Order: sequence, then structure tokens, then C-alpha cells
Amino acid sequence: MTFHQARWDEPPVWELSTSSSPEAPPVIPALPEKLRRKAAVRWPELSELEVVRHYTRLSQMNFGIDTGTYPLGSCTMKYNPKVTELLARRPGASNVHPYQPESTVQGSLELTWRLERLLSRITGLPEVSLQPAAGAHGEYAAMLMVRAYFRDRGELSERSEVLLPDTAHGTNPASAAMAGFTTREIRDKDGSVDLEELRRALSAKTACFMLTNPNTAGLFESEILEIAEAVHGAGALLYYDGANLNAILGVTHPGRMGFDVAHLNLHKTFSTPHGGGGPGAGVLAAAEKLGPYLPVPRVVKEGRKFRLDYERPKSIGKIKTAYGNFGLDLRAYAYILSLGEEGLRHVARRAVLNSNYAASRLGKLLPRPFRTLVKHEFVLSGAPLKEKGVRTLDLAKRLLDEGVHAPTVYFPAMVEESLMVELPETESKRELDGYIAAFERAVTDTPENLRAAPRSLSVTRVDEVRAAREPLLSWKDLRVASAKS
Amino acid sequence: MARWIPDEPGEEAALLDALGINSTDALFADVPKKARIGRMGVGPAREEPEVVAEVDRLLERNRPMSKFASFLGGRISSRYAPAAVDAIVSRSEFYSAYTPYQAEASQGMLRTLFEFQSLWVEMTGLDVANASLYDGASAAGEALLFCRRLHEGARFLVPASLPWEERSVLENYATGPGLRVDTIPYDDRTGRLDLHFVREAVGRRDVFGVLADVPNGFGHIDEGVPELKSILGDVPLVVAADPLSLSVLEAPGNYGADVVVGEGQGFGIAPSFGGPLLGLFACRKEHVRSAPGRIVGATLDADGRRAYALTLVTREQHIRRSKATSNICTNESLMALAFVVYATLVGPRGLARLQASLAEKARTLASGLGGIEGLRAPRFDAPYLADFTVELSRGTAEEFLDRLRRRKVLGGFPLKDRRPGATSDGERILVGVPESATEKGIQKYVEAARAALAVSGRSA
Repeated sequence: MTFHQARWDEPPVWELSTSSSPEAPPVIPALPEKLRRKAAVRWPELSELEVVRHYTRLSQMNFGIDTGTYPLGSCTMKYNPKVTELLARRPGASNVHPYQPESTVQGSLELTWRLERLLSRITGLPEVSLQPAAGAHGEYAAMLMVRAYFRDRGELSERSEVLLPDTAHGTNPASAAMAGFTTREIRDKDGSVDLEELRRALSAKTACFMLTNPNTAGLFESEILEIAEAVHGAGALLYYDGANLNAILGVTHPGRMGFDVAHLNLHKTFSTPHGGGGPGAGVLAAAEKLGPYLPVPRVVKEGRKFRLDYERPKSIGKIKTAYGNFGLDLRAYAYILSLGEEGLRHVARRAVLNSNYAASRLGKLLPRPFRTLVKHEFVLSGAPLKEKGVRTLDLAKRLLDEGVHAPTVYFPAMVEESLMVELPETESKRELDGYIAAFERAVTDTPENLRAAPRSLSVTRVDEVRAAREPLLSWKDLRVASAKS
Repeated sequence: MARWIPDEPGEEAALLDALGINSTDALFADVPKKARIGRMGVGPAREEPEVVAEVDRLLERNRPMSKFASFLGGRISSRYAPAAVDAIVSRSEFYSAYTPYQAEASQGMLRTLFEFQSLWVEMTGLDVANASLYDGASAAGEALLFCRRLHEGARFLVPASLPWEERSVLENYATGPGLRVDTIPYDDRTGRLDLHFVREAVGRRDVFGVLADVPNGFGHIDEGVPELKSILGDVPLVVAADPLSLSVLEAPGNYGADVVVGEGQGFGIAPSFGGPLLGLFACRKEHVRSAPGRIVGATLDADGRRAYALTLVTREQHIRRSKATSNICTNESLMALAFVVYATLVGPRGLARLQASLAEKARTLASGLGGIEGLRAPRFDAPYLADFTVELSRGTAEEFLDRLRRRKVLGGFPLKDRRPGATSDGERILVGVPESATEKGIQKYVEAARAALAVSGRSA
């Protein structure tokens, strides 16, 4: 397949409008002179059609799941079902203010409650809150809960350290640090947690061990029960990063594996759109002993009525205005209803089947650093490309020319020139074979072509070094720069 | 069941064959038996029409704002969004993409985010905006941590009138690094910040930042805010500003704000029971390397043409891990798209006219309510734009609002800290006048309020 992305010579929005006479805003009585804006906000005045064309053209220079295969590892770029978009736009969902009286929002409360119950069954953890707006937000809230838990027990001053494997997502150490913990990374053994290393690292100082299972190498941590035992034996808590839950739906769950608290990404496992980088939804699920620390309010059912409960004295309080990202919660609810028990099991089985199929084929083109049985994603090393003078980055750019997206690159960091590939269950065998063929063409292409890629997108190779060295971060910066030159 | 998982005849068998296995069971051999689960209890699959019917059945139990004369304001707005906003946001090239890690494939979103950043820069009078945060409250939380990177100290000052939810979020952001959120008292007549208190607190040299919101949690404009920076000196000033208000109010960067955060939901994003929202963040260029979140920069492609990319990534979690300026990964890109499309459709003159018209309607409502015995409206003697505070001299805010609701009026929300043990100053309600408010609706509110208080007068 040849691919050509639209290439509009579309100017920035401010260049579309030629008039620039920013008049003073209308005078609002009682507003003191010193507070008044002297000139209207500097921004173009355009017709609706001009605005629609501008952003339509920009959209045509953007690659989404609906455009083609999007195998970003650990991001679970599965199809976003259209019916969920339709439902989220119902006035009964969208035109509802969070501070309406509870009697007028029973539907939103019931949907929230039902989704929480479903997610509780899926995770095997009894207490659920939908408040976090994204995965990292959920991690952070969970670390605040861990903090509150140990403070309650009078152990916080001692338990100041969070352990994580070196395969952990960057958000894990960042969230733990923001919650006031020092972090320590445990070296992996062949891509998995080194249990002996973990045991040595655990101590009376350990508050929590943060783990993704399957991990970012795509491997299931088979010693998970021993890990949980060791962590709990040291008096610490075990945290589940749910980014990769898609691989184990219906096979196992955080509760059975011994986790105390978890976050899930509705925008990964439960198909809500990634939005070009959000909004997400980062559900929290907790074991009984951590339940009291979840953010307020919690939705409770009393008889046939639902209400918001703020009487949770041990709660960490709020991490966001209002409640969760309801628009996304509704989409995830519709998704779970559609698939049901068997459908969710099928999701994991097919995602893992796709992944192993693609891994076995792509593993013939580039080395796989770890064991061959993988879950939802797998890692390849682009190190051999260096022999012909190219890097993983060149391969990623060359793939874009094939009308597919590149995998996640340069993560996980312990693999040289790594590529992390995730092909979710919504990709058919035809699409997988197409991706594999594209990958083969890209890997075997000449160094010149690889370095010159991409050529079929709206721009050629973007100079990211220049972007960082001479930061131009807004229209204002561009004006200053052009005045100088 | 929906055909979201491909099931062409023979397809799965071909995949299994290629792996030399006859069942997907073999693919889970690495999950120990003791970790396996039985049924989850999720229930059977449903066809699309059944799912639509089930979700609609739940949503029918909601009574959306359109069923009432609604006066719910505060940080979350029910402002109308032109249909063109959703038409653009619904383009799946945008919504089905992820963070633009591969710049060349994602110029559309990168350019949109660059325009969004530029717009927030123009509105605030600062130099640099990031590509969004979760919501206004978490943006204020990130601003707190940002201030601490710029200045020594252990205390962060916020107005006593700050909405309690934001206060709670800020306290969470403060707790990790062992910082404290302290309260600036307000003048009982005007709701204005006590600047003497601020001067004294700053003089003790342990304040690392001060936040002021415009409008404040009472909905009013505090005339003292522009004077804050002269008191603070090199202590960073954070202004939490409502974006629409900036169409008529002086840009905070022009009176010394070092950071401007805000809740962007009112620009083209449906209230949706409180989410998704949109966190706005801008700062000065010299501080950009301490800023949280994604930032898009302009650069060139290999052919020397203008191109855009995520930049200054060495601040971020995927590079710096525990040393990152924030843990932000997913932000609110699609909501940033809605924000910039909304602002461009309405235009700078349109935004200012809209704000002026809301202020006019708010004055009409306040003067109508002000004439009712048992109500102080507005409670504070200070300018306001679309929201203001009323205070009841008898009965509770909840009872009053419930009586209004029975008359098909959503009269605002109680200004009360909902945390256990918290106390509030008086029975206050934040009233917000939406764009959809009609003269008739305003009249309806006034009459319903009069009737509600007449009832409570009798029962008292």
C-alpha cells in the first residue's frame, strides 16, 4: 500500500485573518478602570467556515487509530467504538452539571456506581473510585493513599521509600516522588523482577513496591505470588500499574495476584479514545484496608437511591474538581456492557495471540532480548541496524511512510535501541500481516532511504534538537523571533 | 456481540497454526495456577441496540440543566458551545490518536496544541503555556510545586474563599514535599484579600508562593489582586483566572503574575457531570525548564519547512523519572482542541461581548434577589462578572435550593466545605448566570426565591 498523508500549506490560525485592530472590550459598569483590559485579546476574527476548514485540514495531517495500525507499546491503541461516542453526547450525559442536586443526577450516579462495581469484579479489589483524570493521576493518588495509610499507622517517617523495577513506566517514579517518597529501582533479570534482588531491597523503610504485570517488556511476572508475599512480609504495600491490564482480563486480576491498590486506564483497556493525548480516566481500585483512603466523594447506594458520600474521615480528600471524567466513564461502561464476561476474556486472548504472532514474525527481523512467550506487547532491539549506520529512530520514521504508526521507541531503557510493539485485539490478521510486511520493507530498506524517512507525511524529518535548543513555544515567540531577523 | 474483535472464519486458527499451538491456553502458561481466576461476574454480552437502550435508561434518570432555569456557575460552566466545536472534536484523526510522539505523523495535533498554547499566552500576558493539565485544580497544584522550585519556603498562601475542592487538591500536592497551604483572610464586606496579612506573612520569609483567583471563590473580582506582586517581591504570584473573564480583564502577566492557571472547561467543553475538564498553565519564559506537562515547540523539518514537535522533554517523567517536574503523561489534548476552536469561532470581540452580556444579566438577577427579605444579594460589595454570592439570613442553603428546584430553578450551589468536621461562614450560595439565561428565567428565579423565603419565614 502506498500512503500519502495530506500536506496542506495551511498557515497558523493567526495568519488567516488580516485585520488587526484590537478594539477595547466593552465597558462593564462597576469594573474599576485599573482592572480593565485595554485591548481585546490578540486573536484572529474568522468566519465559521474558515475555522472549520482550518481545523479539518489540520486533522488531515494527523494519524489516528481510524487511519491505520497504531502499535504503541503500553498504550493499548485499540479501536474506539463509535457507539460510545454517540452515547457520551446524549444531553442526559453531557448537559449535566456536577453540582446539581443529587435527586436530579440519579442516572449519572447510578452509572458511576455500576461501573465501579463492574471494575471491582474485573480487578478483584472491593473499593473503586473513578476520580483520577489519567493513569499517572491515579498512580499519584494511590501513592497519596499509601502515604495516608502509613501516617495513620505511625510508620510514615520510617517507611519513606518506594521500590520499582527498572522496567517501570516513568510515571511510577515521578508519581512516588511527588507524593514525597524516595524511589529506588530494582535491576531486572531477563526482563522480569529479580526476586532475590527485591528481597534484598525490601526493608522496614519500604512503603510500597510498584509493579506492572504484565510488565513493559511484555512479560508476565510469573513469580507474582512470591513477590506479593515478600512485599507484604516486609510490611509494605503492593501497587498495580494497570496500564497493561488488557492482557490478563478474565485470566487473573490484581486482587488475586495480591495487590493492595491499583490504577486502571479506561483509555487503554476499556477503549475510551486517547484524544491525541487525553482526556484519559485513571480509575483507582483498592483492597479493603486502603478503601477508606480513596478520594471523596464516593458514590453510595441507599435503597434505590444513589448519593455522594463525603463522610470519609480517612480519605485523602480531592485530587480533581468534581468527580471523575464522566464522559469517559460512560464510554467504558457501554464497552463493558457490550462485551460482557466472555467478550472481555476474548479481548485478552486475542490481544495476546496477536502479540505472539507478530512477535514470532518480527523476531525473525530483529532480535528479541527476552523470553519468547509474551503477553499483549513485546520488545525488539534495533541495535543490529547500527551496523548499516541507522538507528531505531530511522526505522520508526520509515514505518510512518508505510501508512502505519511506529511502535514505542527507546523504551524500555534497559534494551538497546528498543522498540515496544503492542497490537491489540482489534487488529485483524490482515492488518497484522500488513504491518509485518511494512516492517520488513522498512528494516531491509537502504540506509539512505531510512535516514531520509519520512517522505509521505505532511512534513519530512522534524528537527527536535533545534526545537529544544531554540525554543519557540508560542505565536508571541514567533513574533519576537521574526522581529529580530 | 459487537464486531470489535475480528473473527473471520479460520482467522484465529491461522494465527494459532503459525505459532504451532491449538489453543490460546498455551499463551497463558506463564500465569501460575494459583493466580488464576474463575468468572468475574460481568454478565453477558449485549448487542448495540441493547447497550444504547440500557445507557439511555440510566440517563433518563438524570434531569439535565435544560429541564430547569439553571444558574449553576463556578469553575464549571454550562456555556453553549457552537455545533462546529463538536464537529471538529469528533474528527477521529484527532480523537483516536495519542500523544504526538512521532511528530511527523501528528502535525495536526501538534499545530493545534501550539495554537492553544499561543492563545493562553495572549490571554494571560505571560510567555509560555503548556499543552494542558487535567483541570483547574490540579493546574493550581502543579503551580504550587512549580513555585517551590523557584523560591525557598514552606508555606503557600491561598484565599480563604478558594473553592474547598481546590483547597483540598492543593493540600494533596503540598503534602508530598512537606509543604503547607495557609489561608489569607478576607474582608467581610468586600471579600477582598487581607493584604496586611499577606505583607506580614511574606515578611516572615517562609512563603514560597501566593495564589489569588479571579474571579474569586465568591464570584467577585478582588480589586486588591493587582497590588499583590508589589507586596510579594520575588515570591511567585499565581493567578487562577477564568478564561472568559480575561476577555475583559487586564492580563495577569501585566500586573506581575508569574503563573496563570485556570479551568478551561467553559470554552467548548460540555459539563458532563464534571469531566473531562481542562487545566490551563502559563508562566514566564525564564522559568520554562521548571514547568510541568507537555510543551509543543516550533522548529523546522529536513527541508527547512515549519514543523512542530513536543519539546523540552528533559523535564518529563519518561526521561527524568523521579526527578521530573511532573508525573504528567496523558493530559487533556482533545479538550485543548475544543478550547482553541471555541475561542476562534467566537473571536476576541465575541468573547468580550459575551462576558459583558453575562455581567448585565448577573446584575439584573442580583438586584432582583437583593430586594427579597432574608437574602443578601450580592453578599459582597465588590464587582462581579457572571457569578456572585448570596447569603441567607434564615434557613439553610440546601433547603432554599431544594425549594427552588421544586419550582424548576437550579439556583446555584452551597458554598460549603463538604469534608467531615469543616465549618462554613454563613449560609451562602454561589449563583452563576449562564448565557442561556433569559429575562423570563431570571424573573422565575426571583419569584421562586421570594416564594421559598416566604415559606421559610412562616415556618420560622
